[in-house]
Amino acid sequence: MNTGHYILQVEGLNVYYGAFHAVHDVSFHVLPGEIFGLLGPNGAGKTSTLSAIEGLLKPRSGSVIVAGYDAHEKPLHARAVIGVQLQATSFQAELTVSEILKLYAGIYGVAMTREKLMHILQDIKLEDAAGKKFGQLSGGQQQRVSLAIATLHDPRLVLLDEPTTGLDPQSRRQLWERMEAMREKDHAILLTTHSMEEAEAVCDRIAIIDHGRLIAIDTPQSLIDNNKTRPEVISASRRGKITLEDVFIGLTGKAIRS
Amino acid sequence: MQTTIPKTSTALSTLLLADFTTQWRNRRSFLLLLLVPVIILISWKGIVDKLGGAFALSTCLTIGLVAIGLMGYSNSIARDRDKGVFQRLRVAPMPSWCIMASRLLVQLIMIILLTVIVFIAGHNIDHITLAPAGYAITFLTAVIGGAVYLGLGQVVVGLIQNPETVNSTTRLIYFIFIMVGMFGELGVLGDQLKAIVIWSPYGTVKRIIAAGMQPETWNTEITTALLLTVGYAVLFSVIGIKKFKWNNR
Repeated sequence: MNTGHYILQVEGLNVYYGAFHAVHDVSFHVLPGEIFGLLGPNGAGKTSTLSAIEGLLKPRSGSVIVAGYDAHEKPLHARAVIGVQLQATSFQAELTVSEILKLYAGIYGVAMTREKLMHILQDIKLEDAAGKKFGQLSGGQQQRVSLAIATLHDPRLVLLDEPTTGLDPQSRRQLWERMEAMREKDHAILLTTHSMEEAEAVCDRIAIIDHGRLIAIDTPQSLIDNNKTRPEVISASRRGKITLEDVFIGLTGKAIRS
Repeated sequence: MQTTIPKTSTALSTLLLADFTTQWRNRRSFLLLLLVPVIILISWKGIVDKLGGAFALSTCLTIGLVAIGLMGYSNSIARDRDKGVFQRLRVAPMPSWCIMASRLLVQLIMIILLTVIVFIAGHNIDHITLAPAGYAITFLTAVIGGAVYLGLGQVVVGLIQNPETVNSTTRLIYFIFIMVGMFGELGVLGDQLKAIVIWSPYGTVKRIIAAGMQPETWNTEITTALLLTVGYAVLFSVIGIKKFKWNNR
């Protein structure tokens, strides 16, 4: 198999927390210009998989290759081509929006001119909030700053961990448009989400992970078509027509996870 | 396509600027940390002649160093870890040591600032003056002593995850250090405790700072105290770094 054109290649990934086996032998790949969704219930192993790709967690075994760089052997090279939006608010609350943008521009080696800074601020509709401290921004504004920083260095792969959690419908739609724009520039996106609507709306392919194992991987429509006759999927259906959510519930079960 | 990794020096200098800005925005809490040493200097105004200028200044500096290392450093680390600030920085293309190096450099400047303020307050309030060599050596010993408490702060954030628990624990340790350290050294709490305090992280730091102010009083006991201080700093740092987790999960 020629794997040279993959932006991200994950092979046989195993992550442990002490004795707990959080990610079991997970393998998948992401192509340039592809939006790849990683879905799963709470505690299924989505964030652990993402953390291993980001280099925040050291996997027990398996490999992560980002744009040809082994994330274990050349972590800085791999990180240089990745843009990351983490799940939690993750910037110093005392710094202003401009200061945070300048900080990450410096860290990623991006020359930040005044014009470029203004352009970014206009792009994320925060030109009036440039001098506002990050801690004073609303959740949606913080997400926009976070996404701007994730794409500041024109990364080839963008990792978004539940990017629309807590956003209003307008902000969510705007984020989807941004993702589409990134895709048009041939950026690959790997996102985790709990929103089936989001996954169906933006993802080219979806992987469903449960109890640390990949249980399905396909396009949203193929996932529906290939699973719509399964009894557990039919029993999960509430409106007659099988949706991606029905497939998800059917494959991962109805039990609420902690 | 060849990927260029940004220069570590550029990343570190940008990070330093951000950390200094954050420290500046939190200057009120730093001023509060300075308050205790300055209040001691004011309250001891009448007895400095009896205690000696070196004793007064070294006590204030030691208390200030404990406050910076334990309350300033560890609380800021615990708070930023809780918010995920470190995790976000760690996914950037720079070595992880840059994150801590930047934080420690900021604390180093705070230690130097504390030393200058205590010298100025000592001179203006209690008319304590040192020889030029005394000032120079005191800066060095204050930095070495500061390393002990930064190490201790690192141990606290290494062992405790919750930022509120870190806050209350460091306050408790600070209180114990001041009370037991100051009164124990004066012999108020008995001879046995006095001996323990003298060779404790409080006592050794205070002794090397006091001796640094009067280089002519430096003897083998002070050298032992210096070696012990370095030993405490290394021990605390090793435990603190080993136990430290970048996130709260």
